Amino acid sequence: MATTSPPGVGLLKGLAVTIKHVFSRPSTQMYPKERPDLPPRSRGVIALMEENCTVCMLCARECPDWCIYIDSHKETVPPAKEGGRARTRNVLDRFAIDFALCMYCGICVEVCPFDALWWSPEFEYSEYSMGLLLHEKDKLREWADTVPPPPPLEEGALPPAEVADAIEKAAKQRELAAAEEAEAAVQAEATTGAAAAPAAGKKAEPEIEVTAGQIDQETFDKLIAEGKSERIARSKAKAAWVKKEKARLKAEMEASGGGEAAAEAPAPKPAEVHVEAGQIDQETYDQLIAEGKTERMARAKAKAAYVKKEKARLRAEQAAAAATPAAGTPATAETAEAPAAEAPASGAPATDAAPASGAPAAKRLGDVHVEGTGEIDQETFDRLIAEGKSERIARSKAKAAWVKKRKQELLDQEGDA
Amino acid sequence: MTAHDLVFVIVGLVTAVSAILVVTSRHLMHAALYLALTLTGIGGVFLVLGAGFIALVQVVVYVGAVAVLFLFGLMLTRAPIGREALDSQNRGLGLAVAGALFVLLAALIIPAFGGESTAEVTGPTIEAIGIAIFADWVLPFEVLSMLLLAALIGAILLARREAGESGTEAEVTRIEMGEALADEPDRHEAVGTSAPAGELGAGGGR
Amino acid sequence: MIELTSASATAFVAQAVSVFDVGDGFVVPLLLKLVFILAMFFVVPILGGYLEHKVMGRMQDRRGPVEAGPFGSLQLVADGIKFIQKEDVIPRAADPWVFAMAPGVALVPVLLVLLVIPIGPGVFALDLELGLFYALAISSISTLGILMGGWASANKFSLLGGLRAAGQLIAYELPLILAAAAVALQAGTLSLVGIVEAQATFLIPGTDINLWYLFPQLLGFGIFFLAAMAELARPPFDMPIADSELVFGYMTEYTGIKFAMFLLTEYAGMIVMGGLIAVLYLGGWQLLPGVPLPGCEGAGGIFDCGWQGQLLGVAVTLGKMMLIVFLFVWARVTYPRLREDQLQRMAWLVLVPLALLNLAVITVAKVVF
Repeated sequence: MATTSPPGVGLLKGLAVTIKHVFSRPSTQMYPKERPDLPPRSRGVIALMEENCTVCMLCARECPDWCIYIDSHKETVPPAKEGGRARTRNVLDRFAIDFALCMYCGICVEVCPFDALWWSPEFEYSEYSMGLLLHEKDKLREWADTVPPPPPLEEGALPPAEVADAIEKAAKQRELAAAEEAEAAVQAEATTGAAAAPAAGKKAEPEIEVTAGQIDQETFDKLIAEGKSERIARSKAKAAWVKKEKARLKAEMEASGGGEAAAEAPAPKPAEVHVEAGQIDQETYDQLIAEGKTERMARAKAKAAYVKKEKARLRAEQAAAAATPAAGTPATAETAEAPAAEAPASGAPATDAAPASGAPAAKRLGDVHVEGTGEIDQETFDRLIAEGKSERIARSKAKAAWVKKRKQELLDQEGDA
Repeated sequence: MTAHDLVFVIVGLVTAVSAILVVTSRHLMHAALYLALTLTGIGGVFLVLGAGFIALVQVVVYVGAVAVLFLFGLMLTRAPIGREALDSQNRGLGLAVAGALFVLLAALIIPAFGGESTAEVTGPTIEAIGIAIFADWVLPFEVLSMLLLAALIGAILLARREAGESGTEAEVTRIEMGEALADEPDRHEAVGTSAPAGELGAGGGR
Repeated sequence: MIELTSASATAFVAQAVSVFDVGDGFVVPLLLKLVFILAMFFVVPILGGYLEHKVMGRMQDRRGPVEAGPFGSLQLVADGIKFIQKEDVIPRAADPWVFAMAPGVALVPVLLVLLVIPIGPGVFALDLELGLFYALAISSISTLGILMGGWASANKFSLLGGLRAAGQLIAYELPLILAAAAVALQAGTLSLVGIVEAQATFLIPGTDINLWYLFPQLLGFGIFFLAAMAELARPPFDMPIADSELVFGYMTEYTGIKFAMFLLTEYAGMIVMGGLIAVLYLGGWQLLPGVPLPGCEGAGGIFDCGWQGQLLGVAVTLGKMMLIVFLFVWARVTYPRLREDQLQRMAWLVLVPLALLNLAVITVAKVVF
């Protein structure tokens, strides 16, 4: 030791350490009286979301002590389309986990490809008889209600892949919506007889989307030959490609007459709109995040905002649709402009038909599938907590309330439409 | 018979019986424990006789120190548990010596103090004892303490030599090596100038 | 026994009169004193034990006992009941009589020492002229019980523990007695009540500032405190018990009520040592140096008290005892166990010379002033 302190100082330091701890909060958790403060990833019990299970048997096979029992049978599903092929589907009969054997390694949860198995922090399921530790699928389904929401992401972390996908999807949808709006506007103007073709054309032009990565080889080679760096050459070549493509599309547009394009104009059916849980209003979301709201809250509000916007859009479309049929039949060159712009655009990857356009027109509450396990209805949750319910009960009820609300919302939308 | 006498008789009986058990017990540890009881009983006798200070000295010295050391030593060396036939072959001799000692003491004490009553006698106060030791009898006290100190040092010396024979040897070796190191240059010279082989051999023989 | 020798006891019993000496009778004071001693023996150690549980818990970021009684205060009572219910196991190889008697031999001396410890103005069972000497002499018998237990268990761990205990207690008795002797020297009496009175009337030479013996004898206090901790065989001096190496030493084979007796010996020993330190160095039932208790007139305001003064005095002494217990626990939680050779080295090479030096300095000071 290079630093020598006078003898006894170390002893006094030791005393100081212990006396400090007298005044610090004891870390005891008063367990039977108070719920322990378990981390969200605690391995308490394994829960089963039965509807996600495809009976792939991966969990049962990977289980090191073979404590998962799965029974299933095959069912034949009639062909979806006339003349199609009948398909077989696995139907789960029994799913049981013997917690007397389970060693809580979590391999089954890890390995499940369809998020059917979840860890829940519930741990108070001891029994007087070992046989009672065999939890059948209804009991495992009950545990699923106690699965806590995933912990919020770290600041600045990339969103999970599925969320990112959903955001991208939403962005595409927005573009599509903008295009439809433009079309509606054009049609509306067309009815009044106003010549709005150049404006519409201009507006439609930016909608031509060019997938990244495609470059104009000619330009690229030229630039490389000129001694430009590869990066610059590529970006310029891309720009060149985009330019060329647009020119080409315009030429095509002009070449193809408006005749059949007008017939293709999508007659908007508001009832068809199906709002997926993943669709959010990016603008609102960004704004809320910027305001410092938590990611979960921002997402929820952004969803609500999306739904609102969507409704507004649908109403506008309805109004437009009411007006269109009158002027739709005489297909003038002017009115054909916009749908024509739409048609090639639909070939671009971004603008395939709205995802919900194929959805059945009428849905019952039971048919509505709601994704997401983590979300809770904050209002219900707060109310129950205020009523003195335990956090666990409040959470699970709030979850149920959320699912109900969500379904109702969806139905309402359809009703509105 | 007063309560005082009753207590004296009880304490005396306990002391006497345990004293007999010390010599008749066939178990070493039991004998040592009976010895501790005997010594405590003697302390009790002193107390009953009104000599509180002597009683406490008896307890702290003989019970707290001597008896504990006895037990300590026994446990450290041989602490058998269970039956052990510990029987000295000279019981008769022991009995004869003890009996003779008892007769001698009785013959001396009974004529000397035979008629006196102990009820009135009280031991001196602690102050009286202190003044007696440190004022009136200070010279004998100091001489005695010097004697004890000498005995203590002698015992330690004996114990250390007994225990550390290898230790003393190591010390001797170290000193010789030190000497050898001191005259090492000389030896080099001696080797160079063909020293007598006998001297080298003696040095190496160690 | 002492009471019975009324005719010849003047040398042994000092003058101060206990509050329990009511009337001229013999039986009533005796019973009162018995009650007092038993209360000191059973209730105060429970207080100390509760303090230890709680303080140790908090120092280790725990709560300590919380379930038995309000704030877990009856935990030691619950433990005692549990111990009584347990099976009393005597190992087959053990020496049954010695095994059975050992806890008693260890326990009784502690009970006897409580006889002389004053905890308030007049609140004591006996005020012996030789009180301090009596306390130290009687407590040395405890060693015997520990040795007996260690030997009779027929267990090598027990034997080692007993040996360690004996070696430790013999080694630390010397500095303990030497440090106490310095106090007796300064006070000019061996009576514990007398020592409290001497502290209440001790003034710094040349001034009229009253001081406890803690201040002139800080060194002696330190020696006495360390030696007391070692005498109690509490961490960091718990080599005789050393649960990690000797699996509880001489207590290894003991169960049930006998084990509880050993435990009670330890807790009561803490109280006894706390009481001795309070009396010897902390001015007994004096609230602060030079501050008389309310309603007390005699000797620096610590005698001839009304009942308020007596109650306050008892509270003050108990508070000081608990402070000492707290210090014991504090040291216990903070420091790791010493090695056996370190322990012996500290006793013989550090504490005994220092205690002798302390004694010499006090003697010189006593003669000079």
